[in-house]
Amino acid sequence: MVWGQERPVPVKFTGKRGELAAMLLRGYVLLIPTIGLYRFWLTTWKRRFYWANTEIDGDPLEYTGNAIQLLLGFLMALAVFVPLYGLFFYLSTQSSEAAIVGYSGVAVLVWFLMGYAIYRARDFRLSRTLWRGIRCDQGGSAWGYAIRRFFWSLLVLATAGLAYPFMAANLWAYRYRHSWYGDRQFGFTGSWRQLARPFYVSYVAIALIAAAGLGTGWAMGGVPVSGVPSVGGVVVMVIAVALIGLLVLYYQSREISRMFSSVRLGQAALAVSVRARSLVGQYVLFGLALAGSYVVLAIGGLVVLGSVASGAFAGGEFDLQVFMQNLQGSFSVLLAIVFGYLLLLGAFSLMVELFLGLGFWKLVAQGASITGLDSLRDVKARGEDARLGGEGLADALNVGAY
Amino acid sequence: MSESIAARFHDGLTAEVHLVGLIHEAGALVIRAGDGAELGRWATADLFAMHGRKDELRLGANGQPTGARVVVKGREDVARVLATLPVLHQKRRQQAGREIRIAVTATVALAAVILAYLYGVPLLAGRITALVPPDWERSLGETVARQMQASLGDESGFQVCDSNPDSLANRAIARFGAAALEGSGSPFELDIRVVKSDIPNAFALPGGQVFFFSALLDQAETQDEFAGVLAHEVGHVAHRHGMEQLISTAGTGALIGFILGDMTGISVAAGLGATIIDARFSRDAERQADAFAGHVAERMDFNPAGLADLINRVGADDEFARALALLSTHPLTDDRKAALEILSQQRPAGLEPPFTSAEWNAIRAMCGAPDPKTKRK
Repeated sequence: MVWGQERPVPVKFTGKRGELAAMLLRGYVLLIPTIGLYRFWLTTWKRRFYWANTEIDGDPLEYTGNAIQLLLGFLMALAVFVPLYGLFFYLSTQSSEAAIVGYSGVAVLVWFLMGYAIYRARDFRLSRTLWRGIRCDQGGSAWGYAIRRFFWSLLVLATAGLAYPFMAANLWAYRYRHSWYGDRQFGFTGSWRQLARPFYVSYVAIALIAAAGLGTGWAMGGVPVSGVPSVGGVVVMVIAVALIGLLVLYYQSREISRMFSSVRLGQAALAVSVRARSLVGQYVLFGLALAGSYVVLAIGGLVVLGSVASGAFAGGEFDLQVFMQNLQGSFSVLLAIVFGYLLLLGAFSLMVELFLGLGFWKLVAQGASITGLDSLRDVKARGEDARLGGEGLADALNVGAY
Repeated sequence: MSESIAARFHDGLTAEVHLVGLIHEAGALVIRAGDGAELGRWATADLFAMHGRKDELRLGANGQPTGARVVVKGREDVARVLATLPVLHQKRRQQAGREIRIAVTATVALAAVILAYLYGVPLLAGRITALVPPDWERSLGETVARQMQASLGDESGFQVCDSNPDSLANRAIARFGAAALEGSGSPFELDIRVVKSDIPNAFALPGGQVFFFSALLDQAETQDEFAGVLAHEVGHVAHRHGMEQLISTAGTGALIGFILGDMTGISVAAGLGATIIDARFSRDAERQADAFAGHVAERMDFNPAGLADLINRVGADDEFARALALLSTHPLTDDRKAALEILSQQRPAGLEPPFTSAEWNAIRAMCGAPDPKTKRK
């Protein structure tokens, strides 16, 4: 075995979309009889799929967490939310000015807690990630991270977004400098300088497009004070929004590539290259898949409604009044509506997971390669970190990724 | 497993990969390096399989470092190992059984909580409501009234039809309200106001405020109907339903959040679920208020079934309101009407009507002549 500069080893992803789809569909069905509790198992299976299919130098990652830990974590998070709920209730009974002040206070508190939740969730995932028999881990302080993120975000707000590259680089660095693989600490070489150019270029371009698009659209009558908006004006505005979306994705691809490529582990270095057009491709694919699934559901829904509320469709014409009467009287119609709503929701989250979640993971994994892998062969295992409930708050606050 | 099977081995101590051969002998899995050196001997009973990719078997063992793994790849090799080590299937089944038991227990517990909630909260909310100081409820009612005026009325709030509290109509209404509330032990004083609005409705707020909209008064054809609705709203005040509703709504939000995992309650699913559950509570409240109106009608001569007549007349006008009845906070009026009919038959004879005909005429005239445009759509 030769030490030193060697060829980079590409990361492989072996998962198939169909396999994930089957797992998710099964999970969604099981959510119904378990009154939603199966979500903890579904998350666990999903992670096993992502981890086990991400292969580095012949050895895949392994996710060692289980659903019971997630369930317990959620119960612990309830301890935070029950008092918050009481507060909400009290506020809702106050005069409107007091309520607005109170709600804003709670919103700020939740924004702060999200930082804590994000960090603890990352701790939970890392400490349950195994590669070559050695566990990853995260140190640092979740409260410290939450405070950092909170004050940085205030600064970003105060500077109309201009401070964002500083915040992003700082938080990336905090996360990775407190991450461990066995007894080896991760490092981070990135800085705001790598983000500045793509960020400010996108920033200026977005500002110009927004101003120009809005101005032209306005002049062409896209947002009339009264009456029908003109087609030309609306088209201009839609184009402006689409261009802004493209610029956001372009910047995201640069941030992901440059920040991930700044991650070090001793002598080993990660390099990630995610192209903006691949990122755009994921969203286009997602949009098409979602539209397709909704067309299928709409046709199915019409057939079902036609059979349970057949009177409304009698004579080939849709009679709203009869339909509404059916709606009122029949329990099966109500059931059909609730079920249809669940189907729409299910189709949406399925497409999000299949095309955005999996798509993003695949882009990063397949765009990644690692140099200096051999230097990791003497990494030793560290003690256990079996802390429970790291992720409960993240689940409750809806910030959990993957 | 007579001949050795190729595998990758991680000892769980260092991040080294060992290419090894596996042999099953004397109740143990023996792990040998290429040069024949024995790297490990794991007792069969200690073995367990982790979840991995298809056609890949990841084995760990109790008593070994937690990260120690033997990885066998390829369908044939995996099948051979599984055939030799039936203990792996048993362990997997045991683990799955354990998780299913926990999932079922948790689901049953959650279902029990939901049931306890559905049946217990009306009782519990009533108890908690009894603990709320009347002063607090009164100021809360004023807040709600302000919010409601901001959302329903124009900027100046509701326009009261007859601002003179000593007018014939207002005195008659106040007298009726006081008589209806008498004996209920309510700590509140009624403040009944007839206000201008195109919406045919009437409602009671926490703390004793009752609003009667002019559009509903316009549609009332008899004293019975007007007095029935008013007595019903006084019933809401006496039972403190507004407060009860607030408390149970807060509880429902928490429960739905628990089921969906969305404690912020911003999803549509959370809103829809809460609406369906809350509608149940308000149905009970409506029934109670109807019963209250029925008891008032035992002291004064009006037919409480007039209440149902008026609601039906309003409902006939508004298909949309009827269509949403199942999800709305108002119960279906058919069963209510039947209950009210029974109540109306139990009344003693020889009572005084709630309003003299002069008073009733004054009440009908208090908002001016009904606007022909809004009366019937």
